Amino acid sequence: MLTKTLLILLGLIALAVPVAAVLGWLGLTMQYLESPMPLHRALGDMVWQTGTDFLLVAIPMFILLGEILLRSGIAAKMYEGIVTWLGWLPGGLMHANTGSCALFAATSGSSVATAATIGTVAIPEIEKRGYNERIFLGTIAAGGTLGILIPPSINLILFGLLTDTSVPELYLAGFLPGFLLAALFMITVVILCIAKPSWGGESVNASWSDRIAALPSLLPPIGIFLVVVGSIYAGVATPTEAAALGVIAALVLAAANRSLSLEMIRAAVEGTMRTTSMIMLIILAAVFLNFVLSVIGLTQALADFVTGLGLSPMQTMLMLIAVLIVVGCFMETLSMLLTVAPLVTPIVISLGFDPVWFGILLMVLLETALITPPIGINLYVVQGVREKGELSDVMVGAAPFVITMFAMIALLLIFPDLALWLPSLFY
Amino acid sequence: MLRLIDAGHRLSRWLVWLGGALILGSAVLVTIEVFVRKLFNMSIAGADEISGYAFGVATSLGLAFALFERAHIRVDALFLILPRPLRIFLNFFGLALLVGFAGIVTWMAWGLVADTLEHGSRSITPMRTPLAIPQIPWLAGWMFFVLCGVLLFVGSLFATLTGNAAEGERRIGVKTLEEQIHDEIA
Repeated sequence: MLTKTLLILLGLIALAVPVAAVLGWLGLTMQYLESPMPLHRALGDMVWQTGTDFLLVAIPMFILLGEILLRSGIAAKMYEGIVTWLGWLPGGLMHANTGSCALFAATSGSSVATAATIGTVAIPEIEKRGYNERIFLGTIAAGGTLGILIPPSINLILFGLLTDTSVPELYLAGFLPGFLLAALFMITVVILCIAKPSWGGESVNASWSDRIAALPSLLPPIGIFLVVVGSIYAGVATPTEAAALGVIAALVLAAANRSLSLEMIRAAVEGTMRTTSMIMLIILAAVFLNFVLSVIGLTQALADFVTGLGLSPMQTMLMLIAVLIVVGCFMETLSMLLTVAPLVTPIVISLGFDPVWFGILLMVLLETALITPPIGINLYVVQGVREKGELSDVMVGAAPFVITMFAMIALLLIFPDLALWLPSLFY
Repeated sequence: MLRLIDAGHRLSRWLVWLGGALILGSAVLVTIEVFVRKLFNMSIAGADEISGYAFGVATSLGLAFALFERAHIRVDALFLILPRPLRIFLNFFGLALLVGFAGIVTWMAWGLVADTLEHGSRSITPMRTPLAIPQIPWLAGWMFFVLCGVLLFVGSLFATLTGNAAEGERRIGVKTLEEQIHDEIA
């Protein structure tokens, strides 16, 4: 049963069948082969219940929030502001890349949008200031991945939904690792630039008055971050309500920035709905598949198989991480999250690990997947924005940051409290 | 035939604007609810329920647009190195499975809505919403999605068989990178 499921799953994915259809047909086929009950009859009700779930209303809200910020020019101004603050470090603008990605990530959930936005502003600076092109591109590709770890992250909402884990708790758990990882990226750049000073390019030495003058451009994203995240932890709002507050705040900021227009709203709404409908179709199929797999006992069979290997919990975890790193090289992240989380999390919990901690670990693994070749969407996005040279430049440039992510995974394994300490103060 | 598809695409864009308006409206409604609850310590109950319905309807209305825009994710690691005739076949294969699955969902959704109408079902919340109100447009979105999928399949097949395979690929193929990036930041 396990082999059959895997073969169908991998076969359909390899044939480039749309992921939602892969998951849906896998569910239907396994039901046909293994279940005496016509489980598909529950589809209508399931699609309605999941499709109107208030928790998931956060998905279009967060996407819309990011779209509005993107199209109002706030993100580009923010980059220039961050340059004055971080540009003096060895590696110059490369720190601004990481910093802007982290800050933009803190307002939106999309890694592709983050990498594309920052890439568009930053890439013209490579030649102007003589940076090592590969490492520079690597900072954008890697920095862009922070979006799925730093709250508010859509991926954490999906993990919460599929594993019955509290989203506010996951958000709290994501803070320290998210900002720590951003710091580790910057340390990586500093180390590389000390080892090879020629890579560092020109630093930007801004005066304090420049820095103060740049502050207003940083306020909008920080303000939105505070509205969204602050309202959750002040106990004022649920994650979905916070997302709605964020949308309204973004609209107000766009209006203040004089970039609010019907045209802009229309473009933002089109982008939002295209992504939302695409994601929801996959989620609906994944929820159905999840239901079928647990009814036919596959989830249990997988758990038995893993326990049957006779490894210690830590050995199992290491093996799992290795498998997920390999899977991440070939699979797109959203599909990976939606297939892996429901299957693997029960096993991880039965081994005695904390689901919240595992959620964070899985996010770091998904971030790795975003920049590991051959399929790492952020590599392609950065290359696409650059419009010249070879894709391999971006891959080589991102490689040091993959190692940084491995270090982050090791830190999470050794110090689980990196993720669990902050939630433990609240819950 | 292709003209009919273009008309479907235009209509789907209108539906997306409608869906977007529902989402924006929900954002306003939920924000008001949060403020009223915090400031006046009272609840205009139902904002969560209504925005849930708005979200469900908006999503189903957007499915067809995502299809026309080729936004439904496909993993193209192997696909891109296959010979072109095989890629063309896989485009149709993938679309058929996607529309087929959507067809089954729509059929089951039809059953759900028929039940709702027959029993006059209401939500089990203080609002006691007659479920037919949000469920009918929701079902319509799914039906439109399936209809557009069939149309797209037949139209692209027709174009491919009459020697215009490039037209078919433009409509149901995998998106190139430039197109994806254009979508994200344009």
